[in-house]
Amino acid sequence: MSKKKPIFTPVSEKEVTRAIVAGFAKQFIEYVESDCLIIGGGPSGLMAGRDIALKGVKTLIVERNNYIGGGFWIGGYLMNKVTVREPGQKILEELGIPYEKAVKGLYVADGPHACSKLIAAACDAGVKFANMTIFDDVVLREGNQVCGAVVNWTPVNALPREITCVDPIALESKFVVDSTGHDACVVKKLEERGILKTSGFGAMWVEQSEDLVVEHTGEAHPGLVVTGMAVATTYGLPRMGPTFGAMLLSGRRGAQVILEKMKKK
Amino acid sequence: MNDFIHHLPAYVDLYEEGDLGGLNLQNLGRYLTEKTGVPFRSQGNIYKKCSEERLEAVAKELAKIKVKDPGKEFALGVPLQAEIDYERRRVENPGWKVFGILYEGILYQKIVSGLIFESGPILDRCSILFTNQLFGTWDWDNMRYHARVSLYGFPSIISVVGLVEAPAKPKEFYIRKRMGTPIELLREEYQGRFLEHGDSRIAEVLKGYAMQAFLFHLTGDPFCEDRNCRLFNSHWQEEVLHSQMESPYEFCPRHEAFLKELKDRSSFSSLSYSTREVGRGR
Repeated sequence: MSKKKPIFTPVSEKEVTRAIVAGFAKQFIEYVESDCLIIGGGPSGLMAGRDIALKGVKTLIVERNNYIGGGFWIGGYLMNKVTVREPGQKILEELGIPYEKAVKGLYVADGPHACSKLIAAACDAGVKFANMTIFDDVVLREGNQVCGAVVNWTPVNALPREITCVDPIALESKFVVDSTGHDACVVKKLEERGILKTSGFGAMWVEQSEDLVVEHTGEAHPGLVVTGMAVATTYGLPRMGPTFGAMLLSGRRGAQVILEKMKKK
Repeated sequence: MNDFIHHLPAYVDLYEEGDLGGLNLQNLGRYLTEKTGVPFRSQGNIYKKCSEERLEAVAKELAKIKVKDPGKEFALGVPLQAEIDYERRRVENPGWKVFGILYEGILYQKIVSGLIFESGPILDRCSILFTNQLFGTWDWDNMRYHARVSLYGFPSIISVVGLVEAPAKPKEFYIRKRMGTPIELLREEYQGRFLEHGDSRIAEVLKGYAMQAFLFHLTGDPFCEDRNCRLFNSHWQEEVLHSQMESPYEFCPRHEAFLKELKDRSSFSSLSYSTREVGRGR
């Protein structure tokens, strides 16, 4: 009786571990210094990362959760349909995300499909990710130029300090993008240091806030570009509702700003 | 009604700011001239004569006067560079469409006054700015900022988008919106009961507000207590539509007579700083 051949090639546990460590370390060492460091892997961060990386720029996205995509998986009230207002659907088309017209000027897509396609587009463009990694502080140089971020493992932050006292590490980059949503973590850190002052977002006003968020996307401080909902917090704009067009377009605008600045440098 | 004429202007000067949604200021000007006998001049975009340096200075001023929390009294802000850049792009672009920032109305008026009048108000011109931006004033009764359609003064400013956003919609609209009824559905149900952006009725409604601005220049009193008169100070959308489009007459008999006498007078003379009383008192 012949012995049945296993489906998978036999590999020992230690080889699996070595592969994980080596793969992670190789990428991490390479990306300790990047051209663009994006804090926050939601729709605006992913869109910015995708557009920047498409131009061959070395881009790393730091995401505090295990999963990438932020709120783009679901729409309002935990329902997994996401909406975009015109012209946001053009980006859905560009990324190959199916959508339907809801009413004039409003389009609806399947959240999981839209989010996974956007993540895949960012990966395909060459973006690398450091997930389960939380932003801790900014790295500043002469003239308070932002040129990196101090990060730590997310679980470290969740544990009492008496149990885990783990020092963070620093990542350097030519540009840092704050795509951390309404928290605007990077901008807030600069505020804590007295370098700039944010306004906090106003009441929800979907129709106007989307335009304003895109129009205000840009460099908030030397070396720091703000995209997505963090823009509303930084400049005191009305709060956004569950439509994602502005997140995608703001990410794209942020990428354009960085690419233009890189050209000038 | 105050019908003591302080300043009878030689011209009505109409200025514009941003995308006014196809509003024809020539038609509006012709209407004012027809009603008052005072010729109008369309002065175009308010920023068109500004130098680069002036535009930069104006952008900085505008960025400082954003009302960021309508529930708090206003304090001058220290704007970030991106806020100044936004204003700079806005004032440089005559067809700027984006709005949604609430500016402090009195300070906004002061800034545009500085653009129109180089050395203090010129009272022989009634200057009116039509803008696509929103401004508000602090209400001491309920201690918060409210968006306004108009702010009369030198110049008077009238917000085309304020016409949609400032006067209140029917009460039940807000209750149902708060209860989660989709806005698209509400719009369909309440269609016609309030103005919307791009609404074809806006051009007609603005005529009444322009007349209020003119009356303010003349007498200091832009309003009428008669809800059927175009000079009625409406707080609800339904009042706006009624007084401007659905009332049995355009102006109340008193204002009608006042305007008739004014027109007769304007057709042969223009007086600055007139102290003569025209019209009939109460």
